[in-house]
Amino acid sequence: MRFRSQLANVSTFAKFTASLSSLGKICWMRLEEEVVRFTVIPDQGTQVWAQLPIDTIFDNTYTVQSATGVINLEVPIGALSKALRSATGATSAQLRLTKNGVVPLLALTVVASSWTAGDNALGIQQSNQVLSPAGPGEDRPTQPAPVGGPRERETVITQEIPVKVLHQSVVEGLHEPRCRDPDVHIILPGLVQLKAISDRFTKLATNTASGERSSSCPKLELSANMHGSLKLAIAADTLRISSVWTGLVNPPLDPGQLSQTEIDQLPSERMRALGTEGNGDEEAGWAKVRIDGKDWGRVLSVGRLSPKVVACFIHETALILYVYLRGSWAGEDSCLTYYINSYSP
Amino acid sequence: MATLSFSLNPSALTRFHGALNCLAKFSDSVSIEAEYDQLRLSALNSTKTAYSSFLFDANKFFSRFSFSIRRGDPRNPSSDRFSCQIYLKALLSVFKGRAVDSRDKDTAIERCEVDLIDTPDQAECRLVIKMLCGKGVIKSYRLTYESVAIQHAIFDKARSRNQWKIESKFLREIIEHFSHSAEQLDIYPEGSKAVFTSFTTKVTDGREVLKQPVHTSVTIDKRDFEDFLVEENLHVAINVKDFKAIIIHAESTKAAITARYTRPCRPLQLAYESEGMVCEFTLMTRGEQDEESGDGSPPATQSSARPPPRPVQISNTPTTERVPSLPSRSARSSAKPPAEKSGQLDSLLKSSAYMDFDSLFVPVDDDRQWDEPNYEDDTEDKLGWDASADLGESNINSEKGKTGNESVPVTEQRQEHNIVEDEQAIPPTQRMSQIRGLGLFD
Repeated sequence: MRFRSQLANVSTFAKFTASLSSLGKICWMRLEEEVVRFTVIPDQGTQVWAQLPIDTIFDNTYTVQSATGVINLEVPIGALSKALRSATGATSAQLRLTKNGVVPLLALTVVASSWTAGDNALGIQQSNQVLSPAGPGEDRPTQPAPVGGPRERETVITQEIPVKVLHQSVVEGLHEPRCRDPDVHIILPGLVQLKAISDRFTKLATNTASGERSSSCPKLELSANMHGSLKLAIAADTLRISSVWTGLVNPPLDPGQLSQTEIDQLPSERMRALGTEGNGDEEAGWAKVRIDGKDWGRVLSVGRLSPKVVACFIHETALILYVYLRGSWAGEDSCLTYYINSYSP
Repeated sequence: MATLSFSLNPSALTRFHGALNCLAKFSDSVSIEAEYDQLRLSALNSTKTAYSSFLFDANKFFSRFSFSIRRGDPRNPSSDRFSCQIYLKALLSVFKGRAVDSRDKDTAIERCEVDLIDTPDQAECRLVIKMLCGKGVIKSYRLTYESVAIQHAIFDKARSRNQWKIESKFLREIIEHFSHSAEQLDIYPEGSKAVFTSFTTKVTDGREVLKQPVHTSVTIDKRDFEDFLVEENLHVAINVKDFKAIIIHAESTKAAITARYTRPCRPLQLAYESEGMVCEFTLMTRGEQDEESGDGSPPATQSSARPPPRPVQISNTPTTERVPSLPSRSARSSAKPPAEKSGQLDSLLKSSAYMDFDSLFVPVDDDRQWDEPNYEDDTEDKLGWDASADLGESNINSEKGKTGNESVPVTEQRQEHNIVEDEQAIPPTQRMSQIRGLGLFD
């Protein structure tokens, strides 16, 4: 069983793992020939199923060898995310599967180089400040002592993350959730803004509710219609606030996959029709979900990847986010799918 | 009776605060020692594996410094210094944020004055700290202190065979890569490189495997060091948290750090100096003991340099006090010629690889300590013993009662050391308090 590759896009990979690690501690990482899949299924809260074409994060040195052609790993995603921080700005970074005794490891080897400041910015040598060569008794071939001026320093960092190799039988039972066709699908506004407002709402509701039942986290009401409107609201005993976005895009479905008649029968088209009355603001045309404010905040941490997000609302049932990484919109190959359950009122 | 009084200007105050912050990472309380020409802040951690000391030069660091002590003090007869201990959190809260608080220029601190009032006839001992701010605002803090005998770790620089020196910013870069859960840090040279590796000694299995700390290894070129004289492939390991605390402080002073050590399971010292402040940290190391390290004292010799057999120890040890073998070493070493007085505290700490030592001073399980000592072995590293502590026994006891730690660590050797002429005449584990009246310590 072999896996190794140079990392092609460290910052994307680091941000990606950081987003996943906000949802859970353990990630199922599935290395395949063409894609890498990351899945986080926490005991409670939102599940995320992600798939990245290998060239999103790896380069052409990507090698996976195993009996099944697939390697399934259980990875402490937070540790991987922290380790990847060492690789930002690195000259090169390699990830490989190795072993220390019986413990399998994901070893990240980073080569970073920087310039010593030297003694001054202009590199003018000063005789009184000399970076002396390493002491005697050392087997390095004698080279002229790097005196004073700037010099390239090389630092090699190795991060060994303990992982578990999962047998195929263990992961066979894991399936992506299946849902009915959504009632509303809409492209979310900028996640920076959405997260700021959501967090603000959650905080307000948490603070006002702290007297009575502080244990339960406030629930946000998120609703949207097929006429480009999204509403974020929260209701507590002492306050009721909402924010509404309009003019958002309800992306058309791919006509290649569905015939026109099939499309016409979709719930979302029914919702579009329902909403048309009353200037598109008809109550019946809105699909609503109630979600945990803190969990939603963690989901929105994916905003660091500045992705394009399509939210699919299944009224009073679930919210599914399709998060497309930048640059992969057309291919839709790199996609993170978040499954968020709706709480009953 | 002692009087101590000094002033700090704002920049010195900031650095004083920095030192206290660093000490707080090692212990709950700080030991303060005043002498005529210097002030020392030190702390020993609860497991006695890390000792930190900040020495402030009276003239260079303080804008004013005065100290006097009445000789012949019945409590402290032979000393020319004053020592006490203060709860660090209390002391830190006085300095917290104030040194750097320049939001309001008008009321910024212009000077900090510290006075120690040591009045034996009064029950309360006080350390008075006054912050003199702009517009005549004076903030006064009165803290209680405890008068105690201070324990110092002694490190013999002359005996250290391995040494490196590097700018603190390079080490700061290194520690950035270590995870918060990293436990131990192994430092070793490899070819033209120096390697810093974290590891854990915890054994975990099953699902717990994933909770193990990430092992991080950072390799830098030896050329990054100002000097690097370390035996090839010599591994020493220290606690990552201690290392981080030291490096963060060192980096704030922009000083170059010097490390000195002999071999694994012996202390390692990190030292640096900055504008009238000398910072020294003595850390216990662990690692694979390499017996062929050209030590000059082969294992046999080492193992023979041990206190007398156990039965003696038991018979002389009060039942309430579980005294490990340390006092014996102290007594032994106190008899050594002056040249050896500053012997290292690291003796007897040799043991098998990766044994978990709880203490800098007391080997947890070193079977060889029960062997016949080699009395002629002067090459053995030694523990120091402060003769003044003989008479200050009650002080030590009171402190032990407080900390609940019953081993007696080394104290600094500054006084007469030749009291004990016949080192083996007394079973080494006997308490000093018990052997008074024999004519040796009176």
